[in-house]
Amino acid sequence: MVDNFSIALSHALIALAAWRLIFRDDLDREDPPAPDKERAGFAMGGLVRRKQSKPTNEDKPGGRGNA
Amino acid sequence: MRDLAFVGFLMAFLALGFKRPFIFVLAYAYVDIVAPQRLSYWMLNAVPISVIVFGLAVVGWLAVDDKRSVRLTPRLFAILTLLIYCAYTTSVADVPIFAQEKWGWVWKALIFAFFLPLTLRTKLRIEALALFMVLCASAIIVTGGIKTAASGGGYGVLRLLVDNNSGLYEGSIISTVAICIIPLILWLGKYGTIFPQDWRVKTYVAALVFACLLIPVGTQARTGLVCIGVLAVLMLRFARYRFLYAGLVCAVGLMAVPFLPQSFTERMDTIREYKADESANTRLAVWKWTWEYAKNNPMGGGFDAYRQNKITLNTVETIGDGTTTQIEVQQMEDEGRAYHSSYFEMLGEQGWPGLFLWLFIHLGGIVRMEFLHRLYKRRDREDEQWVAPLALALQNGQIIYMIGSLFVGIAFQPFVYMLIALQIGLDTYLARRRQEAAWRPMRGERQVNAVASQAQPT
Repeated sequence: MVDNFSIALSHALIALAAWRLIFRDDLDREDPPAPDKERAGFAMGGLVRRKQSKPTNEDKPGGRGNA
Repeated sequence: MRDLAFVGFLMAFLALGFKRPFIFVLAYAYVDIVAPQRLSYWMLNAVPISVIVFGLAVVGWLAVDDKRSVRLTPRLFAILTLLIYCAYTTSVADVPIFAQEKWGWVWKALIFAFFLPLTLRTKLRIEALALFMVLCASAIIVTGGIKTAASGGGYGVLRLLVDNNSGLYEGSIISTVAICIIPLILWLGKYGTIFPQDWRVKTYVAALVFACLLIPVGTQARTGLVCIGVLAVLMLRFARYRFLYAGLVCAVGLMAVPFLPQSFTERMDTIREYKADESANTRLAVWKWTWEYAKNNPMGGGFDAYRQNKITLNTVETIGDGTTTQIEVQQMEDEGRAYHSSYFEMLGEQGWPGLFLWLFIHLGGIVRMEFLHRLYKRRDREDEQWVAPLALALQNGQIIYMIGSLFVGIAFQPFVYMLIALQIGLDTYLARRRQEAAWRPMRGERQVNAVASQAQPT
């Protein structure tokens, strides 16, 4: 009884997650990230600065930032 | 009936893979963790299901996936080297039959750990793998949690879906894994996008974490208690009100004691009385034997080399109290005792080269996750808020595993290699995204490339 409940619950959640995943475009493809606005952490620190000229992903209508 | 349900589920799962081939990768993770072939009586256990699903995952990746972002990192290279080295030690193993048996599943775990990061190209894939690992483990953890809450469990007594005591279904192993995924569960609850945070997710996360904490109680594996202690200390690091948090942890711990089964508290008491404890003494004797064995066989004896050991151990027990105290020393002979420690497992089976490779793979994970955590804390970009907590969750899970594996021989546990693959996948993904974010045509291209190559993950 407990075993069947546990199996049913976990498998239902796995199935739901898989179902949601197949409708997500960002599973296979992501837009490029918005360029760094300033120094990009200690690995990149100080070397890469920018004067932003290109529109970012966040600037596009309906666009959103990507991770 | 259950068999038909499993077959139907797997078929539906694989059918989704034909729409999105990455689902095949998740399906393999499911087969590897839950092992539905062990839960069914016919059909599934008659076909080599894991080989078929792995084949589909590789073919799907080769045929459809974008391979431009594939990178070979030092840790990935170390996994491949370890695989080749294990193949060599198996060919010259001291106990060839048993070595072949273990090699039969180890190579699959290592190949998958090598393959998995190559497929983790997007944030959603990383999240999906983490979610599937947690949900698959929850199939075992939920049943263990409910049974423990209802009946208390017992050492070697708690039945986790199957009678088979192997893979994740073994008490000490599931205790360690259950605690080591708690940080990942919390991360998924907060930053997940497949199941975005709402009251249902919060409730499930709280219930699952509670079930995870109950697993060491139910299996009465002492390793689990140690892992809970490590988790409590690790969470202290970033607690806003540390003293309050520490006080709460102590209070909850003390309040929980009366609710714990007596057999659990008695067994946990034996942590202190290790001199009288045969299990603890055997461990020390086996570790001593392994150390001596490694001196004569620095290249390792192949899988299951421990089967050759013959050990003599003394147990010291103090009887009586007050004025008349009697010390009883018993001498026992034993043979073929397992390592009960992943470190000694690696040393005895794969020798010093294997141990160093293994340490490089695992300690490298801790170091890289620390690096990513600090870097992304500092970057502090709106779209990267999920990164530092995930790196920290993966690091905490790894530290808990490294401490837990001091007392359990789980050096090749496939679940842990999936955790490593997740780390490597995250690391390479982020390195690529940093490079893309810093990309400047016309200026600084050479600089950016030079910096990005310096930031190559290990």
